Amino acid sequence: MEKNILEIKNLTKYYGKILGVKDLSLTLNDGEIFGFIGPNGAGKSTTIRCIMNLINKTEGTVLLNGKELDKDEVSLKELIGYLPSEIHLYEDLTVKQILNYHESFYKKSIHKRRRELVKRLKLDESKKIEDLSLGNLKKLGIVLAFAHEPKLLILDEPTSGLDPIMQQVFYELLREEKDKGTTIFYSTHILSEISKICDRVGIIKEGELLKVEKVEEMQKKNLNFVMIESEEIDKIIKDLNLDVALKRNNTIRFKNNLSSDKLIKSLAKYKIDKVLIEEATLEDIFLHYYK
Amino acid sequence: MFKREMKVNLKNFIVWLSILIGLFLVVFLIYPSIINSENMHMIDEMMEMFPKELLTAFNMDITAIDSAYGWLKSEGFVFVLLITGCYSAILGSNILLKEESDKTIEYLNSLPITRNKIISNKVSSGLVYIFLMTIGLGIFNYIGLSISGNFDKLQYILLSITPIFSSITIYFICMFISTFTHKTKKMLGISLGIVFISYVFQTLSTMSSSVEFLKYFSVFTLADIRNVIVDISINPLMVIISFFISILFLILTIIHYNKKELI
Repeated sequence: MEKNILEIKNLTKYYGKILGVKDLSLTLNDGEIFGFIGPNGAGKSTTIRCIMNLINKTEGTVLLNGKELDKDEVSLKELIGYLPSEIHLYEDLTVKQILNYHESFYKKSIHKRRRELVKRLKLDESKKIEDLSLGNLKKLGIVLAFAHEPKLLILDEPTSGLDPIMQQVFYELLREEKDKGTTIFYSTHILSEISKICDRVGIIKEGELLKVEKVEEMQKKNLNFVMIESEEIDKIIKDLNLDVALKRNNTIRFKNNLSSDKLIKSLAKYKIDKVLIEEATLEDIFLHYYK
Repeated sequence: MFKREMKVNLKNFIVWLSILIGLFLVVFLIYPSIINSENMHMIDEMMEMFPKELLTAFNMDITAIDSAYGWLKSEGFVFVLLITGCYSAILGSNILLKEESDKTIEYLNSLPITRNKIISNKVSSGLVYIFLMTIGLGIFNYIGLSISGNFDKLQYILLSITPIFSSITIYFICMFISTFTHKTKKMLGISLGIVFISYVFQTLSTMSSSVEFLKYFSVFTLADIRNVIVDISINPLMVIISFFISILFLILTIIHYNKKELI
């Protein structure tokens, strides 16, 4: 039987009269990477801030390891590693000083893991925090979140600011954490990240959780769009019975229901000037789930 | 965390202490040349022209300004009260709020530390600086007065202690008010306003019996300098009131900070 590390029950948050999150219920299984996806302002950060007790819940509960996550429960806080979307640290300190300061809050020694992470992320410990670029600040945030080897990692837009090479290192780190049994709550608005690393995905829009689905199943739905430019465009539409979303002169954009292999084989019969296979955008996914 | 708090607040402490020390240094350097027998005659004449209420407000009715110590007992301690009051107000306003204003609270909150522990570390660091301010200034003035001439040492020590009562009370009141906002900028005006209005109330209350009740709305009543000058003792009632007001606002701070949305 799967064990749940994080359980969110009927979470509702209003900022005055403005809705942040409405009746959100969600369970994270031990050792999974759960993608939490939605556009800006959908309620991702509100959900995370409620979990982290930074803001008060209007209604609902958050359970960590079956215990209500409280502001003053240090033993539960030790189980969480948190990487916020925007990192604000003490600018008067150097990287080394903040890492030492960070270490001082943990009973167990986290120095070894800190050294490993600093090395892998190529972080310069002598630099002052105020002099760090956005990418380096993000790397420091990753070290701070991962160093104490938490059971649950809450990551809010973790790759923003990281260069592609560092993104790969970060994905490797995530896979290693997953192998160790760490549960990861991964909030993002980048769909490709979800399909790359997540086991399940929760889609949130306007404060409501629209759907929770396994990434495998989502991928099976093959949500991608194809743009074709051809002189035989009308014939192609008719022959392949395409669900055209947009048509302009000899160009069409349609939702593709076939595998890439089948699609290319089908199109091979025609004279094609241009073809572009696009990943469905977040909006496309939402429209899909609304239907 | 306590060590970090001490480090963060050190620069401000040095600046404020330097302002006070600089002020008194100037007094100790120039006072002997101002106060000579010829000038004293003119000062006496001028004092006679002042209304009694004004002299009372600056304790000049119970002390003569014929020496640096005399000046310290009258106007000097007004500056001490006001400047340490402003320092304590700003310290109290910022000590919890700075993390929110700088947005570092998101990081601090993610650490395995309770909000109560955050408060206790920060509060105690602020208190240490208020005590250090009082002790630092007290020692500097003691040295300055010793060089300037004779003075009543017990009275001086008691006088040096009295600003602690008003300062600590202001510190806790401002800290509590700061739990209702997220920006330090907003608190600056409020905290300084509390200090100056409080001072005006206290001054007015000594000037006329019809507005004597205003002293109950002033934290500076707790620093009962007149009592120390006249009786050479600290009024224990003021110590007790100061202690209870501080504890009350500390408890209110703890309650409200624990419910507060930090961003």
